[in-house]
Amino acid sequence: MSQFKSTLVRVLLIQAVTLALLWLLQSRYTA
Amino acid sequence: MHWINWVVVVVYLVVVVGDSLRRTRGTKNLEGFFLAGRRLPWWAVGLSVMATQLSAITLIGTTGQGSISGLRFVQFYFGLPIAMVLLGVTLVPFLHGAKVYTAYEYLERRFDAKTRSLTSLLFLLSRGMSAGTIIAAPSVVLSAVFGWDLVYCVLLMGIPTVLYTAIGGVEAVAWADVKQMAVVLGSLVAIIVLLTIKLPVPVDEAFRIAGSTGRMRVFDFSFSLTETYTFWSGIIGGTFLMLSYFGTDQSQVQRYLAARTVEEARTSLLMSAYWKIPLQAMILIIGVLVFLFFTFNRAPMLYNPRHDRALREKAPAQYAELESRYTAALSAREQAAREAAQVKGSAPLQAFAEQNARVDSVRTEALAAVTTATGENSRDVNFIVPRLVLEHMPLGFAGLFLAAVIGAAMSAIAAELNSLATASTVDFYRRWYKPDGTDAELLKAGRVATVLWGVFACGVAVKAATLGSLIEVVNRFGSFFYGSILGVFLLAMIKRSNALGAFVGLIAGMSAVAAVSFGAPQVSFLWHNVIGAVVVLVVGMALSFGGKRERAAA
Repeated sequence: MSQFKSTLVRVLLIQAVTLALLWLLQSRYTA
Repeated sequence: MHWINWVVVVVYLVVVVGDSLRRTRGTKNLEGFFLAGRRLPWWAVGLSVMATQLSAITLIGTTGQGSISGLRFVQFYFGLPIAMVLLGVTLVPFLHGAKVYTAYEYLERRFDAKTRSLTSLLFLLSRGMSAGTIIAAPSVVLSAVFGWDLVYCVLLMGIPTVLYTAIGGVEAVAWADVKQMAVVLGSLVAIIVLLTIKLPVPVDEAFRIAGSTGRMRVFDFSFSLTETYTFWSGIIGGTFLMLSYFGTDQSQVQRYLAARTVEEARTSLLMSAYWKIPLQAMILIIGVLVFLFFTFNRAPMLYNPRHDRALREKAPAQYAELESRYTAALSAREQAAREAAQVKGSAPLQAFAEQNARVDSVRTEALAAVTTATGENSRDVNFIVPRLVLEHMPLGFAGLFLAAVIGAAMSAIAAELNSLATASTVDFYRRWYKPDGTDAELLKAGRVATVLWGVFACGVAVKAATLGSLIEVVNRFGSFFYGSILGVFLLAMIKRSNALGAFVGLIAGMSAVAAVSFGAPQVSFLWHNVIGAVVVLVVGMALSFGGKRERAAA
């Protein structure tokens, strides 16, 4: 379970960072 | 194509097939063939799950999609990480702990044989046909681009795949997937680097130009049941679709059943959750870079060479007229792009967007003319990236990309064949015909089933062009029960639910989705899964609890 939990935290972090980057990309290049 | 590119393709095929077979010389029993002796490491299972989903059409179709409509398609995958986390704590421990070969086998233990057989049969019907379409899509592209006979293209991918799947089973499939993912990722990164180098303006300016056409828009927060690519469709509908796919589709379930422990099975699923959205975003960004490349370099009016030739021959006057307008629109667009890159402000961007709309409108006319002249749906989007790679990329790269496309197709087909063989052997042959069959008999049946499904898939692929409407019907039929099967598995986790509730609930769920599909065809298919799962749960629980109350009252 501990391996699953630490993987889960990393998954959530990566998704948050990806969505934030996509948001930045959209904000910067879309009028 | 240059001979060096062919050498790259041949070496790749020999290495993948040869190494996969070498690793599986020990496949002597049923558990080894179908579940790799439940000893695969989590990272191999994870890469295999990723490779299975990344079919050839993702490489050539999704990049093309990105070049035409931009980044918004990525919203489709927003539900995937949520689904993976939910599966990790619910279905995965159930299925892995039950020591079953197929997901449907678990349903017999929990409910009854008819629920198991019906769900397994539905899986076989839809996946059998879809294995054909997985081979057909890249074969049609290769056949048009190289001018080869479609049958040879189908066999080029079909024969090696059937060979290593039938001999080596799931272990061969998984190890081939690992290498295929490496080649696919390598070629995606290479294409990004090459396209960036080839752009005549800085990337920042280039993205601003693409942004003026709406291609850099990712999020659409409007709530609509008819739009597939919105934030909410992705989060809600996408979660249910991914729960159904990863939780109940044998081609996916079989991957994590092969993991050593529940913990590793969960971790392998989460590995997909890690990379799916970044990977899809990367593929779509490649699409946008391809659009920009063809803004500064001459873009073909029709990317499918076969359709280009057909229109030129059948309607030469119309072709010449379209071509001359297209050439004028292209050079005006390129001029506008160069100006927009040099002069800051919104006016040059606006001018570019207008010129781009002119190019698009001539292309739309040309595509309509192709449909009239040939009677075929153009599917031009699938030819954009192959044309770019073959005509504009350096020596050796086309071979690498072709190897990646063939590899992606092979890994997706292999997973389908292996899971089709498993379900046919375990859920039907062993269950109804040979319950006392020895390991050797069942292993032989598994191999024969793999070959038969391979022949069937290749047959469907060869006939795909003429079977078009039939395949559409089968795909639609598939969407009727995906969510409903998920509903049955969810019901299985509720202690008081019973076999009657599961079976009647499954029929009710499929009927409800069929009613919505025919009665309100504008509702996006992503919502069908939500409807199916919810109806099965409600009907199944009502019948289970109602039946118990009646018995208690009696």
